Amino acid sequence: MSRRESRMEVDLPGKIELIADLPGHEDKAWHVAWNPARPLLASCSADKTVRLYHYNTISTSDTSDSSSSLKFELNTSIATGHTKTVRGIAWSPSGQTLATASFDANIGIWQQEEDEDGEAENNVNGGGEWECVSLLEGHETECKSVAYSSTGTLLASCSRDKTVWIWEVHPDADFECMGVLMEHSQDVKCVAWHPTEEILASASYDDTIKLYQDDPSDDWFCATTLTGHTSTVWSIAWEPKEGGYLASSSDDRTIRIWRRLPGKGDISFECAAVIEGHERSVYSISWAPAPEKEAVKDAGGKNLGWLASTGGDGTVLIWQINEVPGEPDKSPKIEQTLLARLDAAHGVHDLNAIAWCPRAGMDGIFATAGDDGHTKVWKLILS
Amino acid sequence: MAFSGALTLTDLNDFITPSQSCIKPVEQTNATPKHQSEGLASTEIRVDSDGAYYEVAMDGLKTKSGPQQQKLQAADISLNDCLACSGCITSAESVLISMQSHTEVLNFLASNPEDICVSHKVPVLSIAPQSLASLAASISSSSTSTPLPLHRILRRVEVFCKKVLGFEHVFDTTFARHLALQEHIREFRERRSGQGRLPMLASACPGWVCYAEKTHGEMLPFISRTKSPQQVMGTLVKEWMATKWHKSPSQIYHVTVMPCYDKKLEASRQDFYNDVYSTRDVDCVITTGELELMMREKDWDLSVPVEGEIADEIAGEANVAEPPLPTDSIHLPELISHPGTSSGSYLHTLIRSVVQDHPHALDLSVRNIRSSDYEEYTLTDRSSGEVVFRGAKCYGFRNLQNLVRKVGKEAGIQVGRGAAGRIGAMRGRAIKTKKGDTSAAGSTDKTYDYVEVMACPGGCVNGGGQLRPVAKAADKATDAEGFKRDWESSGVKIDEEDIGRIQGQSGKWGDKEWTKRVEVVYWHELPTPPPSPTPEGDSGSEKILSHLVDAKTQMADKLSTRILAETCQLNGDEKAVSWIDDMDQSAEGRRQKLFRTQYRAVESEVIGLAVKW
Repeated sequence: MSRRESRMEVDLPGKIELIADLPGHEDKAWHVAWNPARPLLASCSADKTVRLYHYNTISTSDTSDSSSSLKFELNTSIATGHTKTVRGIAWSPSGQTLATASFDANIGIWQQEEDEDGEAENNVNGGGEWECVSLLEGHETECKSVAYSSTGTLLASCSRDKTVWIWEVHPDADFECMGVLMEHSQDVKCVAWHPTEEILASASYDDTIKLYQDDPSDDWFCATTLTGHTSTVWSIAWEPKEGGYLASSSDDRTIRIWRRLPGKGDISFECAAVIEGHERSVYSISWAPAPEKEAVKDAGGKNLGWLASTGGDGTVLIWQINEVPGEPDKSPKIEQTLLARLDAAHGVHDLNAIAWCPRAGMDGIFATAGDDGHTKVWKLILS
Repeated sequence: MAFSGALTLTDLNDFITPSQSCIKPVEQTNATPKHQSEGLASTEIRVDSDGAYYEVAMDGLKTKSGPQQQKLQAADISLNDCLACSGCITSAESVLISMQSHTEVLNFLASNPEDICVSHKVPVLSIAPQSLASLAASISSSSTSTPLPLHRILRRVEVFCKKVLGFEHVFDTTFARHLALQEHIREFRERRSGQGRLPMLASACPGWVCYAEKTHGEMLPFISRTKSPQQVMGTLVKEWMATKWHKSPSQIYHVTVMPCYDKKLEASRQDFYNDVYSTRDVDCVITTGELELMMREKDWDLSVPVEGEIADEIAGEANVAEPPLPTDSIHLPELISHPGTSSGSYLHTLIRSVVQDHPHALDLSVRNIRSSDYEEYTLTDRSSGEVVFRGAKCYGFRNLQNLVRKVGKEAGIQVGRGAAGRIGAMRGRAIKTKKGDTSAAGSTDKTYDYVEVMACPGGCVNGGGQLRPVAKAADKATDAEGFKRDWESSGVKIDEEDIGRIQGQSGKWGDKEWTKRVEVVYWHELPTPPPSPTPEGDSGSEKILSHLVDAKTQMADKLSTRILAETCQLNGDEKAVSWIDDMDQSAEGRRQKLFRTQYRAVESEVIGLAVKW
């Protein structure tokens, strides 16, 4: 009996339902990002555009009804002016600013032109045009990823030039370079900020993950390096509530969960779990907090939420991550349960990105971007 | 290939790492031979036991005659290629610097014919004061012990170079810096009077110059055209001294010892090549580390005093009182101190010059921006409150980024490669619309007149070619704060490179404590402590003004004026009063040639081939 067959027989507690299929990009869709404050979903592509989709806000509290009434429509397509692929996008926490990372080595900063009354966000469909208010130059070669810190005061970017740059966000679309971190020995694939602290993680083709901190009297520095993956680390995601864990996905087809060891101001991690399940490279992961009603279910442990993963096998896997007490005097353990599985999410195409919607009332909603140029929105339904 | 030992030891840790888009790997120089069988579909590359590469025809494998194979040429990358390429930014030391290594120096000295031969070259060595400070710091046992004065290190280096290596002359580069600083003042005055753009940006750091040429061509008009001390020294040796010695420039072999790898690149620039005599102003640049390696290889102990080093000291002081100015012998004032920064005091020299020229009393205020690597200096007229001068020192790659953004913004020019024309246009529009709200607040902020830019954090004392601190072997079990750590169990891999560096005698580049130590040693010999102006700004300018202009400096001024007149062939009737005075037109033309240089932007293109997603 092949592995695939055995897996098919397992009764999983959840299923994944398609909410919207959003074609439009003329080339591979590389990344998706949900606006944290407004009903907007952004996708970017090798066709050098960013597409923004608006969705209707959910008015009823009954989620099973609302999902069926969730409608997505194109809000605008931004011809970015980047001369090469737009590889990554990130919204600022306020939802006012969008950052684009392009293979043309630049980071674009985008804001919506204010209306006459200065209230851009209230006018969801109209509003001003998105314009590039700043261009962050400095990377030598292709930018791969960009991320805003939890407070929105810092922006990080990474590139094939092996560097990670940290910028401080100033008023009037001004930026100050706070650090150029030349720690990785290869292409840097992904950057991700801790959900509450100013700690940055980066993942690289050199198979490692590095964590950076600011020395207030000095510069940003690499605080620690996590090794264990046997190939490229493609994506990283923090446990979204407290940031006590970091998940990483790799070309070695595994996902690793790293536990931050307690200690004041100290940054050290240990590998808490190695999750297998994908048959190809795991290009993207996203970690959502457990919905309120789910979080209290297991009295024995702590529900750390849902981890979604996807990649070169075209499959979406969703895991429930639990922290359970370990043996006396030992660290707690991580237990993962596969909640749902979706094969061929974009047909025969690779999936490049997966992202949970962070907005309230949108539990279980996530989006994917694929080589077919489509962006799809899905909902996890637990029976 | 001949990497010098010091290079392989340190190149991985230099400041700006090489990039993958070097022009050389994509350049195809060897044409395919025509006699090969037609329709040859595929070939493969094989490596033999000697490390040579062969292109082997796949079809050939099947034929009886055996595989057709063709030895492939190894790519040969010269420093000139690096200068013309935007592939990597500065770290050309990681490619083949076979022309500029300590082995090259030793080879030259070994093959240099006797001095009675016509082809004999006079070997001259010039060493930077930062290199002397690094050497001095390396032989003082602990941070508490009193470091050796630089002139004693200079004596020891001189004896080593003359007795062991066979150099005929050994100088330090501070006199050349003295000339460079004066020319710098002159250039700044020119720019202030409207001939050229402000802010003027320092040009002594070749890492910065190279970076600007490759990625920020729009910054080039701002970069000072004054030659760096190394290249002024080159001019002194190959022009002025050569004449004194009745030699042609090509009959001198000039080696400099520098705290910085990028000085090798600087010396290789086309502008510093003498076409007539086919010689460079500086023939070979070695780093402090390479000099130290030579000493170790020759079993020379730098910590052992040399004969007469203290007597020389006394004699040296006596000389200052009665400066000898013989007509044909070369005696440069040694180790002239230029108070300000350990990276050459370019900013402070200009501040002093502005203070001297201004009719009224000026107040100096200093603002520290996040770290001592970025400081703003403002001179304000005490009576009118008007800002007369605003300058900054800006060290390190990160601060350099912000400087480029600031200068570009203030000058209203687009920075960077402008990869996206449309983005540029859109950005311009956006800024314009914002300007209306902010211009009132921004207008009171005077823009910079001058910035002392250095690529290395900490400046030249922390150059990539400097010696590393001696690290304790126990360090690897503790973390940066000295706490014991079990690295392996916490999933942390200790970088093998790091282990190598720690277990060897060398510590990590950029060690803050070590840099501080070298800085202290650098200033150790000053008659007065260096004027690090107080942040309060009280009496800052007086402090600088009141700095003792010692006899040595006076002597240096006198000699520099003489050199200017001689090298620029000033008419015997005319007399230059000082370095910065105007001379006649032809003499000024020669000054431009001898003491100024130029820059050119390198076209940049991110190569889209071989992109890994």
